[in-house]
Amino acid sequence: MATEAEQNKMNDSLASDGNRGNSQGGSSKWLSAHFDPVASLYTFSSCMTFSDITGDGENRLVIADLGTGAHNMKLKIYKGTSLVNENTIIDLPTGVATFYMDTIEPRVPAVAVASGPYLYVYKNLRPYFKFTLPPLEVNPVEQDLWNQARDDKIDVTVLREMLDSIRREGTEGALTVRSLRFLMLPDRDQMEMFAQSYKHTPLKRQTVITCLATLKKSSAEDDAISCLVVGTECKEIYVLDPEAFTIQARMSVPSVPVFLRVTGLFDVEYRLVVSCRNGNIYTLKKGMKTGKLCVELTSQPVGVERIGKNIIAGCMDQTLQCYTIKGKKLWTVYLSDNIITMSVMDHKQKGFKAVMVALDNGDVQIYRDKYLIDTIKTDSAITGIQYGRFGREDCSLVLTTRKGGLLIKILKRNAVFEEKDFARGPPAAQNQRLNVPKKTKVFVDQTMRERENGVAMHRMFQHDLYRLRLNTAREYVKVLNSSMNPVSTNLAEPLKLSAQVQGIGPTFKMTVNLQNTSLSVPIMNTLISFLYDEKLYSLQKTMIPVPLLVPGLNYKFETLVECVNDKGISDVIKAFVVKEGATSPIITAVINMPVSETVVVA
Amino acid sequence: MGSILGVNKKQAQILCVGLDNSGKTTIINKLKPKETQAEDIVPTIGFTVEKFKSSAVNFTVFDMSGQGKYRNLWEHYYKDAEGIIFVLDSSDKLRMVVAKEELDLLLQHAEIKAKKIPILFFANKMDLRDSLSSVKCSQMLELEKVKDKPWHICSSNALTQEGLHEGVQWLTDQLTSHP
Repeated sequence: MATEAEQNKMNDSLASDGNRGNSQGGSSKWLSAHFDPVASLYTFSSCMTFSDITGDGENRLVIADLGTGAHNMKLKIYKGTSLVNENTIIDLPTGVATFYMDTIEPRVPAVAVASGPYLYVYKNLRPYFKFTLPPLEVNPVEQDLWNQARDDKIDVTVLREMLDSIRREGTEGALTVRSLRFLMLPDRDQMEMFAQSYKHTPLKRQTVITCLATLKKSSAEDDAISCLVVGTECKEIYVLDPEAFTIQARMSVPSVPVFLRVTGLFDVEYRLVVSCRNGNIYTLKKGMKTGKLCVELTSQPVGVERIGKNIIAGCMDQTLQCYTIKGKKLWTVYLSDNIITMSVMDHKQKGFKAVMVALDNGDVQIYRDKYLIDTIKTDSAITGIQYGRFGREDCSLVLTTRKGGLLIKILKRNAVFEEKDFARGPPAAQNQRLNVPKKTKVFVDQTMRERENGVAMHRMFQHDLYRLRLNTAREYVKVLNSSMNPVSTNLAEPLKLSAQVQGIGPTFKMTVNLQNTSLSVPIMNTLISFLYDEKLYSLQKTMIPVPLLVPGLNYKFETLVECVNDKGISDVIKAFVVKEGATSPIITAVINMPVSETVVVA
Repeated sequence: MGSILGVNKKQAQILCVGLDNSGKTTIINKLKPKETQAEDIVPTIGFTVEKFKSSAVNFTVFDMSGQGKYRNLWEHYYKDAEGIIFVLDSSDKLRMVVAKEELDLLLQHAEIKAKKIPILFFANKMDLRDSLSSVKCSQMLELEKVKDKPWHICSSNALTQEGLHEGVQWLTDQLTSHP
């Protein structure tokens, strides 16, 4: 008792932390009502359900906890944020369902837990009934072998060899659990002991329940009496009567059923959608004995849901695929990560159903048709997910994490889900009509003119282009003739000239770089001179004698330039490289002088 | 003189809101004169108008339905409200976030934001075993952030009337001291 109180207290503090810090982050459409990272729940979507199991109008959360997978399997009941009841389950649970089994007032639904070959039915939180699947026929050879072992006619090694040969010729399911366990034993002593202790009990072959669902019997009301639908390892599906627990209908499918989705009424018309271990989906209608192939999936399904007339399957190849009930593929959505589990979100207030897909990266994505309408981000991968009425809140979402945590979220009252995809496809702006002005008369006239005189306009353009090119070529020749360019084209004196100005004035430093670009011929007897407006500038050196220029090296010559005018005017200074005795320069650089700074300040 | 005779008493229009099943109608019912009290309390549909008196004020209460589908009606009555009674189910830890969400929506509403009206919180169902204290409730609702309006929280048990008169007295004081 004390420990329970302590745990409650711990849950409280953790819950308030979860609310406050909102450490789970995620979507703004959901309120984080509760987060217990140490709930130590190990369960899956098929083992979770909401139900008003006490009949007081408040739905409880019913979870079949798989414990460690071998021990500690429990049926847990949560009321709000606290665990109110625990019942130990003997074998691993494979499914949980709640259903009304009678019309006795007050109406209290029963909880059915599928576990091994049994269905445990609980009512008012107490064990009520145990249903056992009908035993299967034992292989006569196997029966004979165990009879001989019982009468000590054969010893354990012979028994083992004979059983092993049966196992090899048929499938493993053909043997009883006892024989299979016997075959697993490693040494003779253990085999001896095993045979000794079990050989006197009669041999039974039992199958195991793989999936569980409910089917309303004769009326579709919320609290109408329901039948249980059970899928088994022996590839059969049974519909059980809720009062007498007799098998009302028996159907078979070609492979072991894994997911079972049921719609309709047992007494009127119903349809089962069964996803099997061979990766196929079969459908069954009332009166059918065997399943009809509906879809052959390309990859193994992780979850199968029925929404309206469509079947939505989440597959191991990271896809969500939608088919009609006839088996026609409607769409495929490619997801960003592996699917862990999926479930249906039936938003009754807004009148739509969406499918929730939990991914390996911790995201829970909600798809309405093929459109992603919301994403909830969590820290840990979600293994169990269930949406429905919990407590008094209709729009609750319960998530269990791989680390054993329990999250409860509540949809905000004013949350609005977009009709269409918010993440993929063209942005909304693309569909917006631009306010294009009406075509004016000028525009129309211009278009007409362009259409009629296209050829003439093109010719005119070409003509002007040739003129432009001619002018450019002429100017270039003129420049070359007067050596106005900074790179010499004269083969006798191949030189390159560049100049730069440093400083902000009134005194600038002018640097002239000169390079002999020939491969082997040195250049001698050259000078650098400047041409400038003497009213504006005075140069420290107006003439610089150039030494012998060795090919390839860069020579640097410097001179100070002083601006003598204070009107803020700037001019160009031309730098020439001239050959002694020649009348025209070899090369020319035109330097644009900056405006002197002091003048600007003054 | 008028106040002694019970006529010309101050009139106040109050809005009573809160989640469904928090006990709004039960609280209002217990505040009414003994002879007009109802026997059975059923979930309110839409809203009901009730009247009761305290020492100095005649209250007209709009008892709103708390069900999700009726909560959008609340805001239509914000305009004329001179005070608000917000009822919490202190045993419903799960839905405390929903109550906080509704309170935030109420406080952010244009009609309420502009007015400096008193808000009285009843942390109801204090008798239940796993109920939260009024301090814890105010923490979870982050009431310390409500700075622009006078507010008061008191734990209550509507069935035994515990805490109800403390709350109504506070509301009366607020309404008479700031006319």
